Amino acid sequence: MTSFRPIADVAGAGSGGEFDPRVATRRRRVATAIVIAALVVLAGIGGAFTPTFLTFDNLLVVIRQASITGVIALGMSYVTISGNLFALSAEELAILTACIFGWLMRAKFGLALSLIATLLFAGLGGAVQGGIIALGADPIITTLAFGGFFRGLASVVSQNQNILLGTDAAQWLGTGRPLGVPTQSWAFLILTPLAWIVLQKTRIGRVLVLAGANRAAARSAGLRVGQAALLGLTLLGLCCGLAGISAAAQFGQAVANLFQGLNFDVVAAVLVGGIALRGGQGSPIQAALGAAFIALLQNFMLLNDFSSGWRMTVVGSLVALATCLFHILQRRRE
Amino acid sequence: MQSDGAVLRMRGISKRYGSVTALQGVDFSLAAGEVMALLGENGAGKSTLVKILAGLERADAGTIEIGGVLRRLRSPSQSLHAGVAYVTQELSIVAPLSVAENICLGSDRHALWSRRRLDRVVRRHLDLVGLGDIDSATPAGDLSVAQQQLVEIARLLSRNARILILDEPTAALSDAEIEKVKAVVRTLAAEGRSIIYVTHRLGEVFEIADRVTIFRNGHSFAPMEVKSLDVDRLIEHLLGRRLEQMFPERGSISGPVVLALRDVTAPGLREPVSFDLHKGEILGLAGQLGSGAAAVVRAIAGVTPRLGGTIALHGRPLDARSVRNAIAAGIAYCSDDRKRDGIFAVRNLFENFTSPALPRITVGGVLSRGREVKLASDLAAFFEVARDRLGSHAGKLSGGNQQKVALGKWLGIEPSLLLVEEPTRGVDVGARAEIYRHMRGLANQGLAVVFVSSDNQEVLGLADTVATFFRGRLVRITAAEHLKPEELLRDVTHPEAVAAGGPA
Amino acid sequence: MNRREAAIDLGVRAAFMALVYLAFALQLPNYYTVHGIAALLDGAVLIGTVSIGVGITMLAGEFDLSVGSLAAVTGVVVIKMVGIGIIPSLIVGVLFAAAIGALQGLIIGVLGINSLVFTIGSLIGLRGVALILSHENSVTIPIDQLSDTDFFTTPLLGVFSPLSAGMVIVFVVAGLFLRFTRWGREIYAIGGGRTEAKAAGVPLLRPMIIAFTCSGALAGLGGAVLSLRLGSATPLGFDTLLLSAATTCLMGGIALEGGRGSVVGIAIGLFTLRFLVTGVASLGAPYYVQNLAAGGLLIVVVVVQLLATRHRQRRARMTLALQPG
Repeated sequence: MTSFRPIADVAGAGSGGEFDPRVATRRRRVATAIVIAALVVLAGIGGAFTPTFLTFDNLLVVIRQASITGVIALGMSYVTISGNLFALSAEELAILTACIFGWLMRAKFGLALSLIATLLFAGLGGAVQGGIIALGADPIITTLAFGGFFRGLASVVSQNQNILLGTDAAQWLGTGRPLGVPTQSWAFLILTPLAWIVLQKTRIGRVLVLAGANRAAARSAGLRVGQAALLGLTLLGLCCGLAGISAAAQFGQAVANLFQGLNFDVVAAVLVGGIALRGGQGSPIQAALGAAFIALLQNFMLLNDFSSGWRMTVVGSLVALATCLFHILQRRRE
Repeated sequence: MQSDGAVLRMRGISKRYGSVTALQGVDFSLAAGEVMALLGENGAGKSTLVKILAGLERADAGTIEIGGVLRRLRSPSQSLHAGVAYVTQELSIVAPLSVAENICLGSDRHALWSRRRLDRVVRRHLDLVGLGDIDSATPAGDLSVAQQQLVEIARLLSRNARILILDEPTAALSDAEIEKVKAVVRTLAAEGRSIIYVTHRLGEVFEIADRVTIFRNGHSFAPMEVKSLDVDRLIEHLLGRRLEQMFPERGSISGPVVLALRDVTAPGLREPVSFDLHKGEILGLAGQLGSGAAAVVRAIAGVTPRLGGTIALHGRPLDARSVRNAIAAGIAYCSDDRKRDGIFAVRNLFENFTSPALPRITVGGVLSRGREVKLASDLAAFFEVARDRLGSHAGKLSGGNQQKVALGKWLGIEPSLLLVEEPTRGVDVGARAEIYRHMRGLANQGLAVVFVSSDNQEVLGLADTVATFFRGRLVRITAAEHLKPEELLRDVTHPEAVAAGGPA
Repeated sequence: MNRREAAIDLGVRAAFMALVYLAFALQLPNYYTVHGIAALLDGAVLIGTVSIGVGITMLAGEFDLSVGSLAAVTGVVVIKMVGIGIIPSLIVGVLFAAAIGALQGLIIGVLGINSLVFTIGSLIGLRGVALILSHENSVTIPIDQLSDTDFFTTPLLGVFSPLSAGMVIVFVVAGLFLRFTRWGREIYAIGGGRTEAKAAGVPLLRPMIIAFTCSGALAGLGGAVLSLRLGSATPLGFDTLLLSAATTCLMGGIALEGGRGSVVGIAIGLFTLRFLVTGVASLGAPYYVQNLAAGGLLIVVVVVQLLATRHRQRRARMTLALQPG
């Protein structure tokens, strides 16, 4: 068989080269710049009006507040970038994993086994949704359905009561502060670059981005576009698992009404970070920045005695304004 | 008829798409009650002109006067209001709505849309276009493409517009249906309405048009009376001067057979197709929309199923059930719509160029930056894409560069067969020559190439062998050097005249 | 999907509804008493009303996530204004909700922004407004007015109370509007083929505003009526409303991509869901098992529809023979 080879073998090529293929897209740069600028402005205003705002302790509080939302927002950014809008089952899967973790711990399966089993379950919970979406189901409705199902399942597992872990073995996972930083924040700080690297440097990450950018083109280039939804939802499931475990560990108990409104906080982080809903653009870093910005804003309002109603109204308006702004920016460029 | 009675006057209309000039200072006028045919090769600008008139596109410069009044046409509803109605090349049928609702959509101002009232409104128009026995409450999506096209024409009738545009209305229709359409056009003209009739079929011009305006490379020529023309004169005007210097030298083909089709049938073909393709050969499949030329390559590429016959690649039977199968067998396929599935507009060229060849740039699941840069740079160098463009989004490039990316990315998988639909659609003249040169270069290096084109110059200039298609049938296969432009044009527009042995 | 397939589709859904009904009716006598049916109808009013609105936006190819928050805000507004009388406050509440919906439709239509994204913002923001208006507490009707809303559920005509009769009227009006008026058909048109509809001369903005006004007004109506009936409104209430309404519409065959589905379908979806949920509850299962059942049901519907669509697409690919190409 004669095959056509106009191009020399690339295997021997040295690393580097004179071009950097990972030139950040302009939109991403603009969006990231806007979010960072907003962060700085907010920090400046906050520091000027509220003396306690820019203290190290308070910033630690902010990072901690951002952490749970942030970790899940990383997973959600994968879903969005893969062209599957977003998942409305993150909150429910986190609750369910908390309950399962609590149940396993109470049943004395031991910390290691409980952790592994819970994370496996969380990944599986995401993968099932991802598989259905990969076959062509609508992501919003699929995850809405699984959300209701997970919430019901969590109540059944917990019999709608608190599940006391009955042991301190897991407590460190929720309350530990290695080097003075809470575990959740460590997870956030470590997973953010990791999520970025997987998306930028691995083949499956590339497939995810390309499938999100143009599904038809990805399919006609011979890529397995179904992998994108599968990977995105599975990773999101794992992130939810981490959140659930840390919450159960932190409080020493699991209950079916944890994480009120988390779904929309996470989506808000992704949107405020400027990730385009049409997919194929953006990076997990933006979702992390979005989560940090919202946490900072919430903290600022809290320190200034905004009621929870006002805080939600402001965050909601922020999301609406940010999406309109990014939408108009995008449209003007085209 | 060119007197002051003109209902439409367009002056100095210009339009660019990115770096491609579609129209350059075009003047056009239309008299009441006349049928004006627009003729021209693909990309000559005739569709752009009518889209501007229909409010689907905005001109960059120029004025439009309708009935002596200057008009700004910025949306289809504004054009409709100004008395212009349009049947698109691309259908504008809303599938879930009924036939009657589709006809009334956008124009019937009555609040109540009951079945009975709508049926009364549209019945006459349906009868006229030959859909009289169709229940007007049927969802339009249930109809065949041809019937949908007729529904669009019925919509046109219902709009009571002074100026009616039919943009290749017969591409998907059978002979009997085409007769209906022609009859409708004559009736409308007799009522005093003016009709712009865009077509590729020369025979239709003589049957229904009063005058014809020819477009070439974004310019229009003064209208001619159809009575003063015959097919040969028309072809002469249409072809104009040759652009032979655009096309590279042919090579000699002596390689083994790469691809062999035997009695292949596929969706879109009415008769089985057989041919052989050799190593280093470029085969041009010539035909208009709906001719079946594209259907052949789609079946080879695994886009549509092969319904019968055999396809052999390198002597081994090929059964590509999906695009992935075909790619694995070394077949590269570029569709006619590169924006839809040829490029990743929001990703950079590194990512675009390497997209089909990810295994080649991956080591243990991790992308190798060095290999990616090398592969993309080599491909860019081969296709003469400036290396400093590699970091920009594919969507920002000119049509020519986008097409180079859509083609070039396939070399990464080391294909043995390249299938391309409309290789230079939306590509300006300068970049066309480059793309032809690259395709010939690939063939000279041993690639077998099949391309589908509705641009006859392109087929004659680029192909070694030409297969002509008309309405789902292979008309003939000939060596390109023995094929005259007039013969090719006849083959793809009305081959019956060839069989009869004389002009229509 | 052609006409015959669409009819079969609706028939299957209706048969499934009947099956669910029979499965429970065999064990639960109150499934076929007048009193039982009346209670079933009253219990369906909230979700039924809101589902119509959600269904209309889905028909237009959009999705309004904010219905739960809007129902909560309107509930709070109506309870706080109840001093001006039950009906006047109800009217004010619905007008308020309709205005919010119209505004959303206007912004989404003018900017061409994805409604899913925009309504996430209003979902969060409106919830905040509900908290502000209620001072973060439940608001209640004054004691002396408590019995003013009893007439909502007093039997009126056989199994119908004023409440369920109202819902039936909403269904009928919405059905007639969508089926027989130009504006209703334009909603189908922009959902079933937006570019085609635009090319045919349909102005996008009008059907967009109408659809979101309907979904806002009906979400408000549902929230207001339920709050009045209960005599109180909580700013954090109605949080599962979106799931229920979406389940109803999907089970009733409203296509997510827009343009396909009918009010009859929504009614079928509504009663399938209500039969199941109240059935499970009557059998003594705790309320959270009802959530499980509803979520599980929606998953089944999503998967079955997915398989049916894939089957149809495969068949269409094989029979493309007369398409141009």
